[in-house]
Parts: sequence; structure tokens; C-alpha cells
Amino acid sequence: MEDRVVEDVKASFPDDVLEIDVQRRGRVSISVKRDRIYDVGLFLRDKLGFDHIASVSGVDYIDKKEFEVVYHAWSIDKKILAALRTRIPRDNPVLKSLVDVWEGALYHERETWEMFGIKFEGHPNLSLLLLPEDWEGIPPLRKDFILPKRPQE
Amino acid sequence: MLSKVRERLMNIKFLRRILNWGRAWSLWSVHLETGCCGPEDMGRACARFDTERFGTLPFPTLRECDLLFITGLVTKKMAKRVRMIYDQMPDPKYVIAIGECAATGGFYWDSYSVVQGVDRVIPVDVYVPGCPPRPEAWIQGIKMLQEKIKKEGIDEK
Amino acid sequence: MKLSMGPQHPVTSHFRFILDVDGDAVLNFEWDVGYTHRGIEKMAENRIYIQNIPVVERINSYCDAIGTTLGYVEVVEELTGIEIPERAKYLRVIAAELNRIASHLYAVSLVGISAGFETMLMWTINDRELILDLLVKLSGQRITYTYPTIGGVRWDMPDGFKEDALKRLDYLEKRLEDYYKMMAWNRTFQMRFKNVGILKPSDAVKLGIVGPNLRASGVKADVRKDEPYEVYDRFDFEVPTGKNGDSFDRASMRLKEIEQSIVILRQALKDIPKGPIKGSPKGSKIPPTAPRGEAYSRVESARGEFGYYLVSDGKSKPYRLKISTPSFRNLPALPHLCRNVPLGDIPVIFITFDYIPLDVDR
Repeated sequence: MEDRVVEDVKASFPDDVLEIDVQRRGRVSISVKRDRIYDVGLFLRDKLGFDHIASVSGVDYIDKKEFEVVYHAWSIDKKILAALRTRIPRDNPVLKSLVDVWEGALYHERETWEMFGIKFEGHPNLSLLLLPEDWEGIPPLRKDFILPKRPQE
Repeated sequence: MLSKVRERLMNIKFLRRILNWGRAWSLWSVHLETGCCGPEDMGRACARFDTERFGTLPFPTLRECDLLFITGLVTKKMAKRVRMIYDQMPDPKYVIAIGECAATGGFYWDSYSVVQGVDRVIPVDVYVPGCPPRPEAWIQGIKMLQEKIKKEGIDEK
Repeated sequence: MKLSMGPQHPVTSHFRFILDVDGDAVLNFEWDVGYTHRGIEKMAENRIYIQNIPVVERINSYCDAIGTTLGYVEVVEELTGIEIPERAKYLRVIAAELNRIASHLYAVSLVGISAGFETMLMWTINDRELILDLLVKLSGQRITYTYPTIGGVRWDMPDGFKEDALKRLDYLEKRLEDYYKMMAWNRTFQMRFKNVGILKPSDAVKLGIVGPNLRASGVKADVRKDEPYEVYDRFDFEVPTGKNGDSFDRASMRLKEIEQSIVILRQALKDIPKGPIKGSPKGSKIPPTAPRGEAYSRVESARGEFGYYLVSDGKSKPYRLKISTPSFRNLPALPHLCRNVPLGDIPVIFITFDYIPLDVDR
């Protein structure tokens, strides 16, 4: 089942998929180019049935000066979780919003915006969700936002 | 004129005692939950532990309440509202801080959005430690507050 | 007119709703969340793996602490490749199902109080105490158990636990009929909750709704069946689904799930094998670091599916821990449903979704 998904994605997007593999039973990881993530997302939803969005996470790779954005989508029929991921540069963190593809990503993307400062183009409402209204400074989940360390005895 | 009469009456120890006794046994608490001690608030108010025995009845509108339970952590966003709610409550008003987080920030000592102790925002009468404290500890907190109220305005030396 | 509900409100608890109202009709619904945001995902990067268990637990220590912790320990075990003993798996299932019952009883009590059935509140909370007593026997705490740990569970069952548990489950099963009489079969309750806030199955999937709320809409999706973790594949139980997806279905879904939890618990208590509860048979060797890589674990907690996405860089602390919580994923439902509904229906729709603010805010 997982191999079928891998083949289908590979056949449809031969040039845009950077890396694709089956991590274990029920987990497929698809790494795509930044500007094609919308199309691959649409393909996953419409053609392969990954219709249930599970999470949108950002990961800050500060050494490589990159952010990774990961969309986890679950297929209720196939019982597979697909991780659709792409890398964007840290100094220009802009990505096309996938709210049109998965409507449930609305709040997930909004949270990723406030926690990482990743702008989702086309998102209807990018405003602070969880942080205090008067929040200033760098977004908290970036690696250069440092929490106090436990005092050494 | 009235206030003067009131003040004079209150100076009579016997009347003061009656007033304090009345206050101590009718502590109505505001329904405000700020952290994860919330379900224990339900636990202490319902059938098994039943703090209504001690006159502590959870009540929806804060304008008729005189006790504020801070149930657990208070975030920076919530702190403003806690202050607002405290200011809106009629005098006399009392605060019981439940849990480690309400007392010192506890678990969230390194969090960027938690106020390190609710006493930075509002005055606190009784602290109840625990994460979360058992309903028995809440009851002890209420009893301690009652003892405090009973001594109010009476110089006992 | 804009109307603000909460955060000091008998129904909304830590949430605030911003409602556009025209007379009695609500035109638009907007969330204002974040009143309990603690930054647990950031705090997790500041602590080693084993220290993170109680931190992660505080996400939903409110009601379903075991379900929350289980997802975290599973994602760490998947990444490090730790096998846990059979008995520990059963104990985890027992604790998780007991906690599910406690959590659903809490949810039902809130449904009762929102409809003005104060008796319902007193009954369910009182019966919840019986379940909490069992969990106290198992772990020593009423709400925050920190029971599953990396490589097993912390404590074994005490003597006499099995008999006590079975006795209490029998009582609870009898009691469920009272709840049905009080709530689900009650005409007043039905009038108040039926055909209010109907969520169609296609919309529920599109919006990413999880847990009992998704199943109430008629979609059969339960992680315990779809992707069995621990030993859930060994038990014979059903996944109840609703028909209409209205508030009544969502509320009664909790009662049906309690029934199934009792079924699972009876089997688990009967089948539980003897043996160690922690680590490998030769002695517990839990590596302090996780290898470089990533893992995603899914767990069905009382409110729905928890997703833990862990990225490790080979050090002793997580590089990134993303926690996808059920209440957060249920957030889009209310703005979708609360359009052109009477203001009085807002608490009814809200309470049946069983949102937990701490779970949303993390």
C-alpha cells in the first residue's frame, strides 16, 4: 500500500519530488520543492485520499539557515500517514498556504506563523493565536530564542 | 453619617465577631479556571468532598462572590484578566492560590509566557501547594482562610 | 454587535469567544484562545527525554493524562527502538481505559450542567471518583499520574486491584443505564440537543475533526482500530458511531464509549500476563539519548487523536517536539457550525465538542 503511494507520487511529479521513502508501516515521507508543495498537496488529497490533516509543524535548522515545514495528512481509507515536507530559507520564510487543500490546516498554519514567523501566502487570517497580544521579539520556537537554563548547583 | 455609625458598631467586638462568622461561612467562589487544577475544582465542589459544607459555593457571576480560587498557572495573557476580575469583585474579597504554579510558577520556571507566581498580580491570602492539590488540601485551605477571617478587625493579644 | 464571552464564564472556562450577533442570532464566531499557553513545545527542548514526561503530561493533565503521556513515551520508544514487556503494555491499556472513562464522565457532567441537569453533574463526578480511586491505587495520584514511562510503566498493580476494579466496573455498567435515563432518553434533553449543531461527515473530515466528535458524524476512525498500539489489536471491541452528527450524538457518544472501555478493561484484566513491568528482561537499560531521526506517533486519547512528531539530532534533548492535540484540531468546527444559530445554542454546541483549553494552548 505504501509503495503504491510512493510510485503514484513519483510518476506524477518526477522532477519536483526531492526525496520520497517509506519510513515504516503506515508512514510515507515526501520531500518536495518549495514552489510545488501546493500541487503535490492537492494531488495527495484528491487522487490518493489523504484528506484528514493531522498537523503542520515547523522545524528550525539554524545551522543550515533553513526552516522545514511538515504537513502530516492521514488517509482514512488507506490508513497511511503522509509527511509532506519542504525546506525554505530562513531569511525569506514565505510559503504558499495550503488552507485551500486542507481547510483544517487553518489554525495549524496560524500557529506555525506565530511560533516561527513563517508567512503563509493566501492564509485568510495570520494573527496572534496563542501568544499574548502584546508579544514582541522573535517568535519563540525559533532556535535563537533561548529559555533560561537551570541554575547549576 | 451612616458610615460613622457603621464604624462605631464594628468596633464593638461582639458585633464584629458575628460579622466575621457570617463572612467566614459564606465564601462564594468565582468560577474562574486558569490552569490544570480545574477538574479538582469540580471534584471539591461535588458530592464526595462537597465544600458547600463549609459555605463555599461555586457561583457564576463574580459580582456576588467574595472568594477567588486561582486554579493553577496564570499566563501573561490571563494575568490581565485575573486582575480585572479581582478589581470587579466587591469588597471584602479573598484569594486562595491553588497549586505550585499559582504560588511560584512551579513547573513552568523557564516558560516564556507564565507569570512566576500569581502574587505578582493580585494579593493572595492562602497558598495551597500540590500539583494538583487533593480536594482535602483545598478544604484545608478554605478552613485556614476562615480562621483568618474570624480574626479580622479584632486585636487579640 | 460584537459580543465577548469569557474567559470568566460558567461555560467557556479559559476560552473567549468573540461573537457577531444580530438580536438573538449569532452571525460569526471567532476564537480567542491562548489564555493557558505555556510553551510546552519550547520547554520540551530544554529538558532531557525522561524529564519531559511530566511536562508533556501537563498538556492535558486536566482529564486524560495517561492518553497524553502514552503518545510521548511511544514516540520516544519508536525512535530509540525500546521494546517494552507484555505486562507493561497491558497495564498501559488498563490505565488508559480507566482514564478514558474518567474523562468521559467529566465531559458528560459538563454536558449535564450546560443543560441545567445539576443532578447529572453530581452523579457523574461522584462516579468519576470511583475510577480515580482505582487510578490512585495504580499510580498514587488523582489527576497527574506520570504512569507510563520510557520502557514500561512506573508501578505494578497492587494486590486486590483486579477484584476491586471488576466490582467497580460492574457498578458503573449498572449506573450507565441511569445516565441514559437521565440524559439520552430524556425528552427535555433530546429537545435541547437534537438537531443542534449538525456536523456533516464530509465537513468533519475536511476540517480535520478527530475523536468522538468525528465518530459522532458517522466516520469510523479510531486509532485503536486503525493503527493498533500497545495490545489493542488483541481485544474485541466496537467503535461506536453516530448517525446525525448533532450535539445529541456527540453527547451520547461519550456514554457509548464508556461501555466499550468497560468491555476492553474486562478483557485486559482477565488476560494480563505475569512478568516485569519495566525495561528488558535483563534489567532496564534506557539509553539517555535518541538516535538521529524522526518519528510520528498517534494515540487515541479520550478527546481524540494525539499526534507527537519528534525530531532528534542525536543529543539527550529533543530537537523539536510538535504536539498535535485533539482539541486544537477540533477548533475549526465551532466557527463552521456557529453561523446563524441562536445565541442560546452556543454553549450546547461548544460543550458537546469537549474542548480542553490547556489542550488547545499547550
